[in-house]
Amino acid sequence: MIPHFSTQIPAALTVGAPTDFAAVLRHHGLAPQPPEIGSRQSQIGDQPFAPTHATTILAFKFADGVLVAGDRRATAGNTIMYDRADKVLEIDRHSLMAIAGVPATAWEMARVLEHSFHFFRRTQLAEMSLEGKVRALSKLLRDNLGFVLQGVGVVVPIFATFDAAAKIPRVYFYDPMGAQFEAADFAATGSGSPAVRAVLHYENSYARKPLRKLKGSEAVLLALRALDTAAESDSATGGVDRHARVFPIVKMITARGIETLPDAKLAKLYKANLAN
Amino acid sequence: MHEEPFRWVEAIANRREYIEDQLAPGSPIVALGFRDGVLLFTLSRERQKIFEIYDRIGLGGIGHPGDLERLRLTAIELASTEGFARSADDVALRRLANYSLSPALKAAFEQIYGPPFLARLLFAELGRGDAPNLFLRLDYDGSIRTNGGGFGRAFEDFGVIAGKQHAIAQMEAAMREHAHSALNLADALRLAARTWSTGHLALSADSDAAAPDASRVAAHLREHLANASVEAAVLEKDAPLPATYRALAEDEVRSAIT
Repeated sequence: MIPHFSTQIPAALTVGAPTDFAAVLRHHGLAPQPPEIGSRQSQIGDQPFAPTHATTILAFKFADGVLVAGDRRATAGNTIMYDRADKVLEIDRHSLMAIAGVPATAWEMARVLEHSFHFFRRTQLAEMSLEGKVRALSKLLRDNLGFVLQGVGVVVPIFATFDAAAKIPRVYFYDPMGAQFEAADFAATGSGSPAVRAVLHYENSYARKPLRKLKGSEAVLLALRALDTAAESDSATGGVDRHARVFPIVKMITARGIETLPDAKLAKLYKANLAN
Repeated sequence: MHEEPFRWVEAIANRREYIEDQLAPGSPIVALGFRDGVLLFTLSRERQKIFEIYDRIGLGGIGHPGDLERLRLTAIELASTEGFARSADDVALRRLANYSLSPALKAAFEQIYGPPFLARLLFAELGRGDAPNLFLRLDYDGSIRTNGGGFGRAFEDFGVIAGKQHAIAQMEAAMREHAHSALNLADALRLAARTWSTGHLALSADSDAAAPDASRVAAHLREHLANASVEAAVLEKDAPLPATYRALAEDEVRSAIT
């Protein structure tokens, strides 16, 4: 028995070269185990069990790259759990994952994903391909199906990245079973997504210029307005909270890397462009 | 054989001699602290010898490629699972070497019916904040030597390995002659290249031969730069993300040292 960090023999010493970090985690018993079929806990006492959900997220391509934004609210049933949730997570220097769904599962998924990309690069001595990264998230969602069927772990993410080879931004969205779809111009998921999609579709088709021609500050303003519009009708979306100064998380991926917009800049931009 | 302690000791001594013979041609690897972080450097003919282990840990290794590969993957796996289950801040080279790798190497070395690891490893860990860098040499028998700073040993901001012990000693002597913690990258690369050349010359010299003079070191380096590939990587203090490791492009290195 070799004593070390996790008190288990590393896979590399027993089963040859591992390339899949999720497999390594399973080997070490660190992967989450879904509850067994039939053990669904839909009631806690006489209250229905409502796992925490986080909504709403969006991504769209603009002139310099791709913008990814998410509101800050996490809810459990009718209760607001948290109004400062960060649903836009940095996975590597050019990739963002935005999450709608159960945060417990989604944040774990983001951690696995981030470590998977590093693990692949370190063991295989090459960066994982874009296709490989997109598939990795798809596989995590598939592996999560057990939780989804138990009704406690639905995650519907958006994955946005800058394709270094083709020098273009790419946006993918997923269904809870792991099917991946590449978005032509924009994607939105979460409970507020119908309103966001309506705003983005309207802007893209009928406004003065399509999303792809928007400059950085125009794109940021549109993202804020779309999320605030969603919050107007969806109680689970936080929108722009002007009193508490809580703004959505807005990040941009360009050829230079990832940029996070500071709250002060968002506040200034938003207030300067209000109708009244 | 286990009932006969003397034969066990003899078998271990034979094994040590065999492994030292196997490691003897191993090209030196130099790691040192400089202004912007930690530099790892070597010249190689066949295969990559400098690797990324985790956010702040790099590795250089000599020995059998199969054994190096197993140890490298083990180190990555241990660091990654620790970093995942707890935090990247909980991954520490000292723990990785002392509690995981060293016992495994020692066990393999002393179980004389099983194969030992033919490997000598040099780990470098970039210090967090103002903490000093850690350079740690891990040998096939599990023995560990660090760059000091405790137990009455003076702190040294470098670590070296080579195929033979006297080559290591001459490289260490060469490194001690130069204060290098404030050098820029180009100067650090030049110092690393000269130290590599000193060590490489010692591999083919007698163990009691005097250290070569500067002109011989420079000539030897020029000769080998012409027909070997240069490998260098840095652990950068000011890296934009937690992962600080960056492999340097070969032409970037060559233009600095020639």
